[in-house]
Amino acid sequence: MTFNWSGKRRWVALLLLIAGFVVMLTVPPVIPVIQLPGEVWPNGWMTNTLAASIIVWILLILLAFYTRGAMPKGSNEVPRGGFYNLFEMAFEGLYGFVRNITGERYLRYIFSFFMTIFLIVLLSNWIELIPGVDSVGFLHARAQSDPATGAVEVEEGFELNTVLPGVYALDPDCPWLSPEETAVMTVEARIAREQQNCATGTTRVIEGPEALVAGAEHELEPAADSESAEAGVEAAATEAAVAHEGAVTGDTEGAVEEGGRIDEAVEPDPEAAETGEPQEERLEAVHAPTGDPRVPWHIIPFLRAPSTDLNMTAALALIAVVMTQVLGFRALGIGYLTKFFNFRTLLTSPLGGIDVAVGLLELIGEFARILSFAFRLLGNIFAGSILLFVMSFLIPFLPWPFFILEFFVGIIQALVFALLTAIFMNLATASHHAEDEHGHAEEIPVEASAVGEMTPAHP
Amino acid sequence: MEEAVMLAGKAIGAGLAMIGALGGGVGIGLAVGGAVQAMARNPDFSSTIQTNMILGVAFAEAVAIYALVVSLIILFVL
Amino acid sequence: MEGLGLNLGYLLVQIIAFIVIYTLLTRFLYDPLTNVLRDRRQRIQRGLEDAAAAANARRNAETEAEKILAAARAEAARVVEEARSRGEDVARSVETEARAEADRIREEGRVRANEERDRQLADLRGQVAGIASAMAQRLIGESLDQKRQQTLVNNFFTQMPANAKTLSGSVEVVSAMPLTDEEQARARRDLGAENVTFSVDPNILGGLILRSGDRVVDGSVRSGLSEMSGRLR
Repeated sequence: MTFNWSGKRRWVALLLLIAGFVVMLTVPPVIPVIQLPGEVWPNGWMTNTLAASIIVWILLILLAFYTRGAMPKGSNEVPRGGFYNLFEMAFEGLYGFVRNITGERYLRYIFSFFMTIFLIVLLSNWIELIPGVDSVGFLHARAQSDPATGAVEVEEGFELNTVLPGVYALDPDCPWLSPEETAVMTVEARIAREQQNCATGTTRVIEGPEALVAGAEHELEPAADSESAEAGVEAAATEAAVAHEGAVTGDTEGAVEEGGRIDEAVEPDPEAAETGEPQEERLEAVHAPTGDPRVPWHIIPFLRAPSTDLNMTAALALIAVVMTQVLGFRALGIGYLTKFFNFRTLLTSPLGGIDVAVGLLELIGEFARILSFAFRLLGNIFAGSILLFVMSFLIPFLPWPFFILEFFVGIIQALVFALLTAIFMNLATASHHAEDEHGHAEEIPVEASAVGEMTPAHP
Repeated sequence: MEEAVMLAGKAIGAGLAMIGALGGGVGIGLAVGGAVQAMARNPDFSSTIQTNMILGVAFAEAVAIYALVVSLIILFVL
Repeated sequence: MEGLGLNLGYLLVQIIAFIVIYTLLTRFLYDPLTNVLRDRRQRIQRGLEDAAAAANARRNAETEAEKILAAARAEAARVVEEARSRGEDVARSVETEARAEADRIREEGRVRANEERDRQLADLRGQVAGIASAMAQRLIGESLDQKRQQTLVNNFFTQMPANAKTLSGSVEVVSAMPLTDEEQARARRDLGAENVTFSVDPNILGGLILRSGDRVVDGSVRSGLSEMSGRLR
């Protein structure tokens, strides 16, 4: 492979590298709060993984229509260049790949699932590589008050720096301190914090969050609220665009940490109120003006890679396994069940009992496949995204080798997910009886038979 | 104090859970080593061998990933 | 499950979205693209087959052309050979004709030369006789009359040898000077032979030599002179 280093491209790369450094210095990275479930947006129901999923779906639909438009119509038309040819090449390669595995009969069915799963998983994995994903988002006050008792729960977080009007960044030098922690601080620590220009834990007296909750005058006006929200999101979006350019040079993800507004959080459920459900456990978010140092802040990212959400991986795993069974019934009819409930040889053969046990094991194996599929993808990509922002935090100037690593991990995991689906589907279409008679029969190609031997040990 | 003990327990548990990655690592090493030898001896079948290798690596990796998931759950969910 | 974030609503949304995407992509992406690729593969296949057929046809045509060329070459060789042999025949016949013509012309020339010589010799005869008689007159001092002199000269040239009568059949008469018609008739009469031919040979100086088959009667002056010179010696 040869790179063309002449021309403008190298200067662009150099500029982006420098821009990455500037961003790293002005907005130093912090380690975000890591949680497995997708973070809920302030609107109360949209999670950031679902939002990213929607982007993936839209991209795929656009891909379908773009490809349909770019496809050569007549038999003599030369296809357009660029992305279409790349896609067509990959498509053709994967098509031949799947055909080698499955043969012609159920090719269309299996390939459709293979390709759809591959594309969805691939894009879902690659979303984590976009800078700003996992790091740019809504500001969220990590304090909640119990409306019944008025008790306030406060978690850890950071104070804010203002980068631009309406755009904030978490200050890694100023982790938020609760009044209790402030009370036990030494004088030196207090002075050191004051030198960092932090508000909490210094000699400056900060009122506790309780006062905030009590005082309704601190709540923002609705009009101003929405306005500031819009401004904040807009500014965050432009900043994300800047960060995206930086990323091409492999710049720091997680360097940019800002958000728009306070979390309005969960509104009281009117239905629940009507039916008189107990509301003791419901907590309400503390209302505080953005940037208020009296509450800890953290970020709810706008987007997070969908593959880091168990819902997405489990949904794909369920679909893959269920559609495998559907294909099995379609290919073998009701006889497919004898794969799991194999009583034919119970009375005729001395080892009939073993066949029954093997069948039941296969049944358990089908369920184990769901878990296996779901957690393999989740674990890989979740670990990958943690790796990315931990590395961005530890070595903000050089995280791009890990981006390359995750790029390939994304491809491989997508391929593995789709390939295993195709192979399991192909195994489901192969007659169990024929397998007994001829061993791994001629219809099953090398890959499938090899995997077939591996599968029992796999769950 | 209680929280500190709990955090310590979580950290220790997550670390112990990651011992499971050992097997996955060994398995992937063996699989790739064997595959590379096979490819060196028989370059014509590289593509087939590579496919099987990726599958085998995926299966071996799955075990390590389960360990990773367990440790992640210990750290971030429990 | 709550800690893992598994939520039935999100799960269902994902599943439904997958089904929608699956349907859309299968309908609008995979099937058309598969068809395009299959068409292209078939077209390439067909192209390859066409090319193979064309190559085959070309090979056939080449062998055919080779055959035709060989036939044409053989035909040409045959034609050339024929032309050459015919040309040789013609040349040979022309040559023979030319040679015959040349022979004829040479023969004619020879005959004419003989005639010319004979005529000149005949012209010479009178002068020779005149010179001879003048010489004799000087020698013997006696003048011969014209008639006798003429007779003498004639006899010198046309004296039939004594045993001429012994010859028969076809006789060739060789004389030093061409004989006049009258002398020839007399010679025929004297010889009595039915077939008499005359030829001239000045070397014999005078007299006649008669030849008939293997017999020769030599009455020439030359032989007489050589006999005389042999005697004198």
